[in-house]
Amino acid sequence: MCLHENNKLDMITKYIKSIVLIVILVFASCKNKEHQYHNLIEKIEAKSANYSGTNISSEVYNETVKKIKISEGNKEFYITERKSQITSYNCSECHNQPIKLLKDKHVGKKAHWDIVLNHANEETMNCNTCHAKDNMNELRSITNKTIDLNLSHKLCSQCHQKEGKDWVGGAHGKQIGGWAPPRLSQTCTGCHNPHSPSFEKRWPAQFNIQKVKERQ
Amino acid sequence: MKTLKVFGSLVIASFREVTQGSRAYNIWMAFLTFVMLFGMFNYGVQLDEGLSVTGMTDRVSWGLYISNFTFLVGVAAAAVMLVLPAYVLKNIDFKQAVLIGEGLAVAALLMCLAFVIADMGGPARLWHMIPVIGVFNFPNSMLTWDVLVLNGYLFINITIPMYILVKRYQGKVPNPKIYIPGVFLSVFWAVGIHMITAFLYQGLQARPFWNNALLGPRFLASAFAAGPALIIIVLAIIRKFTAFKVPNNTIQKISLIVTVAAQINLIMLISELFKEFYAPTHHSISAVYLFFGLKGKTALLPWIWTSISMNVVATIILTFHKLRNNRKILYVVCAMLFVAIWIEKGFGLIVPGFIPGPWGKIAEYSPSFVEVSVTLGIWAMGAFVFTILAKTGIAIELGKIVYHKKED
Amino acid sequence: MSSNNKKWFSLNLTNKSNKSESRGCGKEFDSCSNNKHKDGYDQIMDVPMDRRSAFKKITTGLLMGAGAVSTSCSVVSGDDSKEKSSIEWEEYFKGNYKLMTDEERNNTVDRLVRSYELRKGEKLNISSKDAEDDVLFGYAFNISKCQGYMDCITACVEENNQDRSSQMQYIRIHEMDDGKGFNFEESNDNYYHEVPAEGHFYMGTQCFHCENPPCVEVCPVQATWKEKDGIVVIDYDWCIGCRYCMAACPYDGRRFNWKTPEVPEEEVNKNQHYLGNRLRKKGVMEKCTFCIQRSRIGKNPACAEACPTGSRTFGNLLDPNSNIRWILENKKVFRLKEDLGTEPKFWYYMD
Repeated sequence: MCLHENNKLDMITKYIKSIVLIVILVFASCKNKEHQYHNLIEKIEAKSANYSGTNISSEVYNETVKKIKISEGNKEFYITERKSQITSYNCSECHNQPIKLLKDKHVGKKAHWDIVLNHANEETMNCNTCHAKDNMNELRSITNKTIDLNLSHKLCSQCHQKEGKDWVGGAHGKQIGGWAPPRLSQTCTGCHNPHSPSFEKRWPAQFNIQKVKERQ
Repeated sequence: MKTLKVFGSLVIASFREVTQGSRAYNIWMAFLTFVMLFGMFNYGVQLDEGLSVTGMTDRVSWGLYISNFTFLVGVAAAAVMLVLPAYVLKNIDFKQAVLIGEGLAVAALLMCLAFVIADMGGPARLWHMIPVIGVFNFPNSMLTWDVLVLNGYLFINITIPMYILVKRYQGKVPNPKIYIPGVFLSVFWAVGIHMITAFLYQGLQARPFWNNALLGPRFLASAFAAGPALIIIVLAIIRKFTAFKVPNNTIQKISLIVTVAAQINLIMLISELFKEFYAPTHHSISAVYLFFGLKGKTALLPWIWTSISMNVVATIILTFHKLRNNRKILYVVCAMLFVAIWIEKGFGLIVPGFIPGPWGKIAEYSPSFVEVSVTLGIWAMGAFVFTILAKTGIAIELGKIVYHKKED
Repeated sequence: MSSNNKKWFSLNLTNKSNKSESRGCGKEFDSCSNNKHKDGYDQIMDVPMDRRSAFKKITTGLLMGAGAVSTSCSVVSGDDSKEKSSIEWEEYFKGNYKLMTDEERNNTVDRLVRSYELRKGEKLNISSKDAEDDVLFGYAFNISKCQGYMDCITACVEENNQDRSSQMQYIRIHEMDDGKGFNFEESNDNYYHEVPAEGHFYMGTQCFHCENPPCVEVCPVQATWKEKDGIVVIDYDWCIGCRYCMAACPYDGRRFNWKTPEVPEEEVNKNQHYLGNRLRKKGVMEKCTFCIQRSRIGKNPACAEACPTGSRTFGNLLDPNSNIRWILENKKVFRLKEDLGTEPKFWYYMD
């Protein structure tokens, strides 16, 4: 029955055409409208080409912190001020005599009598590495130049070059305030005790019992 | 208006038909009702307290409900395996079985919808998926595709048989020009629903156990083995308990379909095993956990090995004509195959996809009492719906209930 | 039955004339089988169902509706509970936050604040601040510096009002073996001993706020999306709890509320954002939001702020002078599971 088969063929062609149409429509509908960039780095570079700052600022969070502005390389940012945080500054108030005498005499303020130097070995480091006998109010560089106590990073980065560069860039150390400019970084001595800089071992803050139960 | 009257009278007649029956029938329906109510009570517990009453956790976030959903989509798709020969190949032997098959598809689809709703964390917010008043994330989300195709399939499988039944109920001949296009559509659609359900898992690059090309075809093969196996068992029961005639030929032809599908399923299994274990990569770790256990965690081993052995044994038995044509053996083997594929789709696919988690941690899953009772309740609901539909359909086919016009 | 006496059904397309009984459906081809394309609304509204389930659903719906209406309109219930139920009613029917107008957003924030006030007597501060222009948030994690303290986890849990009873934690800190490298199967994320332990290093994971997030792709109702400033957020009231996003995330970034979250009264962080740390309910997804309530006003997320070793850096990727940009340009950075194409905005580096 030729007619019969022809009609069937017609119907099948009609169905196939409609299916093809549906498939095209579905795939033509934009799946991801953001596909203008090939990857994230491309997007970042493209979008930051005309960067002119945002309205968000962390100034309000930094208001109560005593800070000073420094400029290292091409970076300008705030760091926490150190001198006002030192209880017994000026150092020269006590340190106007040799230390041996200070130890014998039982001077009234036995401030920081328990400093233990746990920083490099004795061939590399002793008190004189960083402090000058005749000027205890400032720090001493390797070339015997003075470094202000507020700018301890200049001292530390003499040996710790890599950490110093990282710190200026923002990869090392703690940011205080917020992510939004103006940037406020903690100084070296803000986190590290200069006489015993490594972090102590401790116990973690959490133990998750539910995780243990879940995995039994 | 006339159609409504006919339909109304059909519903009343059906109601009368399904509320009478033999003692066995009444016990069956009572049992199903009891299981449904128990499941509903536990679902209430789950609604009240949240999904924490199930065994699911952040690591294995889909469990028994979604396993059953995946499996039942396959069963629903397989009902079309009967439709195809009856109308396209014009094989008269299948005609009787078609209505049963489509009734099974409807019951399976209702079960699927029920499982999805049972699994949701916020079923009251289901309206969020409706386009216009909600947001329907089509075509990005495969889940939306699934919603569309499943509901479409449900619609087709309700309207076509309904049309045929209403016509037969009136003693008229259903017009082929109306239902044949629907039948054709449902054949393609059935393949679609199971491929798309497979795509739900296949498209997740985060789960390497699922993210392979063979998942869709594997779903189809196992569905076309498990679905008709269930149909064979159901037809056997109908033969025994009703006057509905199911010729031996029909059952034999369906068993042939089951055999071929089971064989293809085995071939695909071998292909997957080869891929995972010939040169194991980091991505094979879920398969290692499933088949051999990992770090002492072996909860799924008994399940998967039972499933595989039952699968292999059933397929081998089915391959031999003599054994396949022996109806008693056939029924047992079909039951074995059905259970084996149920395990394989559920605990053999969904659960190991999540283990180990994205950071390598193993948290095993076992369903809770609430989960199991809700699952059983939904299965009972499916059986209940199917029994009603089958009883009505058979009664109309046998001419037991016929429309009597009041006037003229 | 068929009066044709043929043993099979044939598609009798040549025989135009049909039997006289066919009326209503028989004549026109398309009238019965309602083949018109059904949109989503029809699919939900037109689902044929048997009488029993229809009856059940209708009565449940009526009861719920009647309950709600009676509480709002009754003369005997107090003003407070009337207001509470009217707030609940409006909150139930509101739309997706992404599509709301500014006025609708303000309204829902007001309702949430008022609802909390009615229930607990305390005042909340919920913000609905939008993303700023020229901001794209990024995060960098220094593996050499992390000592495994887990201070970040504690801070995160407190800041974001996470469920205490299930100990929900967005952040995970993994203790890795020095010799085994980045082998997560051998790592331990729930250790409890002195840290840092000999022969191990530590690194943390959380939601990485991908630029191409698979979770956003798969959500059926668009309850999760990526904001203009790059933060992937969730509208907790829109989420239906299907957990598809959780299956799609390769980084274990998402958490689900399997039951109602409990936060002790005195620990509730009252500075909240609608898309951030406001109190969630059971059955919805949540995750790290880069502390959206903090980062949109210029602060660091709680984890970055809490870390004593400074191993966490957060900032604006579009600002050429930011710390995060310097890190990306000068340190050897890498991301996890790069091959999956998700483009996370969370980099790792070592000293």
